[in-house]
Amino acid sequence: MIHLPKEETKLMVAVHGWSGIVLGLLLYAVVLTGMVAVFAEEIGAWSAGHVETRSAFEKPIDARVRALVPRTPAEFRDDVNVFEIGDHNLGVFFHRHELKPNGEPVDRGVYYQLDSAGKVENELRGTGEEVFGPRNDDALSSFLVDTHVRLHVPNPWGLLLTGVLGLAMLVAAISGLLIHRHLFKDIFTLRRKANPVLVDRDRHSVAGTWSLPFAFILAFTGSFFSFFGTVGVPIVAMAAFGGDQVALSEAVFGSAAKPDPTPRAIGNLDRITADAGQRAGGAPTFMTIEHFGRADAVVTTFHEPGPGDIEPSTLVYNGATAAFDREKPSIGTRPSAGGTLAAIMGPLHFGNFAGVLSKAVWFGLGFAMCYVTLTGLRLWLVRRREDARSLDWLERATTVVGFGLPFALLVCSVAFLVTMPLGSAVFWTPTSFVAACLATIVAGFLMANARLDRALQIGMAALLVALPIVRFATGGPGWGAALATGELAIPAVDLALWVSGGWMLWSLFGQRRSVRTADDFALQLAE
Amino acid sequence: MTYLIIPALAVSIAIIALLWHGDPKRRRTVGLRDRADGTAKRRALAAVALVPGLVLAVLGDSAAFLVWFGACAIAGWLVAQVRVRA
Repeated sequence: MIHLPKEETKLMVAVHGWSGIVLGLLLYAVVLTGMVAVFAEEIGAWSAGHVETRSAFEKPIDARVRALVPRTPAEFRDDVNVFEIGDHNLGVFFHRHELKPNGEPVDRGVYYQLDSAGKVENELRGTGEEVFGPRNDDALSSFLVDTHVRLHVPNPWGLLLTGVLGLAMLVAAISGLLIHRHLFKDIFTLRRKANPVLVDRDRHSVAGTWSLPFAFILAFTGSFFSFFGTVGVPIVAMAAFGGDQVALSEAVFGSAAKPDPTPRAIGNLDRITADAGQRAGGAPTFMTIEHFGRADAVVTTFHEPGPGDIEPSTLVYNGATAAFDREKPSIGTRPSAGGTLAAIMGPLHFGNFAGVLSKAVWFGLGFAMCYVTLTGLRLWLVRRREDARSLDWLERATTVVGFGLPFALLVCSVAFLVTMPLGSAVFWTPTSFVAACLATIVAGFLMANARLDRALQIGMAALLVALPIVRFATGGPGWGAALATGELAIPAVDLALWVSGGWMLWSLFGQRRSVRTADDFALQLAE
Repeated sequence: MTYLIIPALAVSIAIIALLWHGDPKRRRTVGLRDRADGTAKRRALAAVALVPGLVLAVLGDSAAFLVWFGACAIAGWLVAQVRVRA
């Protein structure tokens, strides 16, 4: 492996340790919620009891969108976004583009939320930031995603923070690679009966070595997403477009079509969705209509990667005639290496390129990275345990965050299941999370660290086992109803919760009993 | 994604298990001092473990290649957790 001189190795060890210790707990929070958010869609369906499996774009949407035109003020009919909400229902946002006083573009308009029959269930007016928020039926999955993306810190600071955390992970991965002299020699070595430093070191380095390539990928793509809109776009706009972000967006993502404001009815959207589904190998996940009601209308459909591919596809249609125009690169007007790289950032980060299989693998990698972060923190503390007793607070903080965070996420899941039928899940999901976090912090002050560690693990195991029961008890669909419609997420998540809860209970109680039995046997022999 | 992912994973994970079994340092730490694999054998096994991924990459199935790569990483970590007493 890479052999650095002694002094440089020392420096790298310090960089590795301090980058982890300064931002490690926040990084752990981002990685843990990211790991869970890989299954945000499935968790959304499971928690809200959604049993519809057909995409909203596989059902007729044309008449539903057209019916909304007369009730929409003409000033908001410039552009339309069409997407899925809730139980594969339709969300439609008629809007126009505006500029904030600071020059940042913003969309303002009317957001319609349709029910399964296509009737308007809810109508919201305002900017995109004002109308798009968690709904009662997706409060839990929204909360998870929001925690991962910006740790609930307001924009742009939240995104900047998670971007910096991504960079810290990148620094830790690179410095870890440089300081580990026996990367392959130690790849299977886990000394369980050695001194605590070696035990923790082996745990940290084995998990870190196996997941190293993905630590680079996930840290880099995560930072890319965080910095893209907050730093990248404003800087490029300032350098090349005199600060005009709209001009930048038009040049990089827009179409080069000649403007034609002649009024003309939009083409058949159902024809577009059917054609797009065939070309891309799956229904669209998002649709935009630019210049709605004009002769130069453009319909763009966005799709997940096709079979065997990791690059999502974007198709462009003539809006007035509904005729296919071209496949659009994610950046620019012609295919390029940069455009392909930008396009695969999403699938590489979210792991959603090959259905549940790739998501399961990405979930496992996220778990390995949580483990690496936590064992790294513990290793750093164990190494200094004898030298500095003042680090006791950090040891407690590591326990409070390490086990308190998943415990609080499970508590807020229970709160969501109980309050969603009452219509108050948007309030109670984050509130219960904060309450559980506060309770854990207070316990961190009052209890001995080892007891708190064990109590939180028992609490997590109990909640994991209880969650499917709470879901059934609060009116969630049974396995029969879910399987009848082909919604496998519900029984799969129930089973996963029971298996992980059962495994935790076994490792907490079963293993302890077997160790005690072995100890008793050894004592008897000695006597 | 092609169904080749299943045999590809089976082959690579089996070889990872073989590498774990013959790993000299692991065997030494649990008190098994005999039957450790030599360097040449370990290098050959590691190369063979990579072949299925190479096949998927050559076939142009980027999704299968990434799933294979990630699954091998998790499998390697899990195989390392197996406890053996001398």
